[in-house]
Amino acid sequence: MIHIQNVSHTFTIGKKGSEKKIPVLKNISFEVAKGEIISIVGKSGSGKSTLLNAVAGFLKPEEGSIIIQGKETTTLTESEYAIFRSENIGFIFQNFQLMPGLTAFENIELPLKIQGIDKHRRFEIVNKIIRKVGLETVFDHYPNELSGGQQQRVCIARALITNPPIILADEPTGNLDSETEQEILQLIALLNESMDITFIIITHDEEVANIAHRKFLMHDGVLKEVVQHAV
Amino acid sequence: MLFRDQIDFVRQHVKRNRMRVFTTILATTMGCAFLIVLASIAFGLQESLKNDILSDSAVTKIEVYGNDEKGIDQKAVKAIPNVQALVETTQFNEPLTANVKLENRSGSGEMVFTNFKEQQKAKIKLSAGTYPTKADEIIVGYNLGQNLLTKKEEQSAKEEGKKEEKNNKGYQHSLLGKTISLSFTLENEEEHTKVRQYKIVGIGEKPSKEWAMDTSIQISDAMKSNILNDYNGIVDKKVQEKDFYNVSYNAYATDMEAVKGVLKKLKAMNLSVYSVTEQLDQLNVFFLALKVGLIFVGTIAVLIASIGIFNTMTMAVTERTREIGVMKAIGAGPKLIQRLFIMESAYIGVLGTVIAIIISYIISFLANLALPKILDAVISDGGIEEAGIRFSTIPWELVVIASLISIGVAVLSGWRPARKATKIDVIQALHQE
Ligand SMILES: Nc1ncnc2c1ncn2[C@@H]1O[C@H](COP(=O)(O)OP(=O)(O)OP(=O)(O)O)[C@@H](O)[C@H]1O
Ligand SMILES: [Mg+2]
Repeated sequence: MIHIQNVSHTFTIGKKGSEKKIPVLKNISFEVAKGEIISIVGKSGSGKSTLLNAVAGFLKPEEGSIIIQGKETTTLTESEYAIFRSENIGFIFQNFQLMPGLTAFENIELPLKIQGIDKHRRFEIVNKIIRKVGLETVFDHYPNELSGGQQQRVCIARALITNPPIILADEPTGNLDSETEQEILQLIALLNESMDITFIIITHDEEVANIAHRKFLMHDGVLKEVVQHAV
Repeated sequence: MLFRDQIDFVRQHVKRNRMRVFTTILATTMGCAFLIVLASIAFGLQESLKNDILSDSAVTKIEVYGNDEKGIDQKAVKAIPNVQALVETTQFNEPLTANVKLENRSGSGEMVFTNFKEQQKAKIKLSAGTYPTKADEIIVGYNLGQNLLTKKEEQSAKEEGKKEEKNNKGYQHSLLGKTISLSFTLENEEEHTKVRQYKIVGIGEKPSKEWAMDTSIQISDAMKSNILNDYNGIVDKKVQEKDFYNVSYNAYATDMEAVKGVLKKLKAMNLSVYSVTEQLDQLNVFFLALKVGLIFVGTIAVLIASIGIFNTMTMAVTERTREIGVMKAIGAGPKLIQRLFIMESAYIGVLGTVIAIIISYIISFLANLALPKILDAVISDGGIEEAGIRFSTIPWELVVIASLISIGVAVLSGWRPARKATKIDVIQALHQE
């Protein structure tokens, strides 16, 4: 499903002449199978987000190859990637990234609008998802009228709406209290099971790591799988 | 994204920044309305002058003058394709006054000898009656009756001065079928030529202008030698026909389009020609230059307004950086982002233009209504209102040109901000609060 091979990336900062090179990803290789939840943990600044951005196509790694659904993505143009992304990848953000001017319903609907799906179809699909993530009572609320947990549900629903096989999540519970966090994690586990969606979740949190099938540790740009010993 | 949804999207954003968008639309409206109203002056004046020229005489008429002693080879002129008639008109070379008498009234008119057959071929219209067939039948101008006054009327006209001239209606009944007596006198002399009787069988068309008076008396060419004899009867020194009369020729083309070709052929025959269409051509060239100039000046106003659009759109892109990042993350490609922003600036342009067109029509209407009155009040002997001059006309061509310019400029000024939006980096955008 996802094959990542020898991916390296170095940021260059500062002015010309006095540039500083920051190697952030160092020869990273791993694979994710369909229907897997994997978690990536690691210290702040270790390069977790950068890795996820490379998988998402927001950043082109200097070296290596990223093959998703059998397609080499590092050579896609921006327009090609936009289409690829809208068909294959959903995102869950730490700070939800909802449109403040749109209701929960409209936020969830947005990816379908972008895909050019007509209003009737959209209405059907969105209503189904709203029931699935439990937003029936607040679908007409604007983001500032929703709790953190509800906002994250909207974000998850928006990620799910185009029925992508892969969802990438960068600290999805980072802004939530522990009780809400549990709800969201259960929702993710449920979606994974019922819809066979592959998740890559970045987290600081052991709780999150618990729902993962496999766990990776990022340390200074090097990714290692944490082998879980059978009890 | 469906077009409907794109429009909804743009509308939503416009609504969120109502005030800013409104002021930008206002600036665009002012620029575009300025452009339309300014250029409409050229269109209005051109139309006024054109109507003036066209109403003056028939467009198919071509005045023909011989350049040498030989004069005009009438047969050759008539043989030119698309020439349907060649009318010969003759006037006196001497300062003769035509005295008309009808019942107890008398007055004067302008004498012309003409060829009625050719006039008929040229399809010159009459307001009443038919073309004469006999030598003693004539056609008179539409206003000749007004010139025929009784002694009493003449007296009162003299006393009350020119101001009351209008009140003197002269002969009130139709002249058609009436027989008038006609004789001629030399200026400042009493003796008149033999009095001859003519029957009025046709009346000329009403002059197109309110103030114009047609008091002509058209008599058949056949009478030319008789009247010359009459004249020679009262003078000491006898004159020759060619000295007594002044002949001029008007050729008539089949239609306006044919005039150009006929003019060319006539010139090739070494004849001098004059046609209002030539005057119209010159007029059109002049007004084309004027229109282009005024549209250019108006476009500057639109360009100034476009700076506002550019600013508004740049601010919109900057403000929505995070949202653009999210849009990209959930599947919007650069092309869609660009299109949404260009549509937003086009929206401003279209709305501004539509309002500008409406306002321009109102301004134009009011200007045509009020300006002649104001000018007449300021200028003592104005008469502008009566002359029917239009100061401003907005034809559809002007609306199309102005719309293309101002919507085009709006789209262009939104283009760079839209490009900027497509270049927004998703990672950085999502980091924004
Ligand atoms: N655009 C950039 N330009 C330069 N350096 C960058 C850029 N983005 C990230 N970095 C650097 O790369 C390193 C990794 O950043 P990254 O965001 O991947 O860390 P992270 O593991 O996600 O941290 P956190 O857990 O705090 O989110 C950091 O040292 C950061 O300063
Ligand atoms: Mg991070």
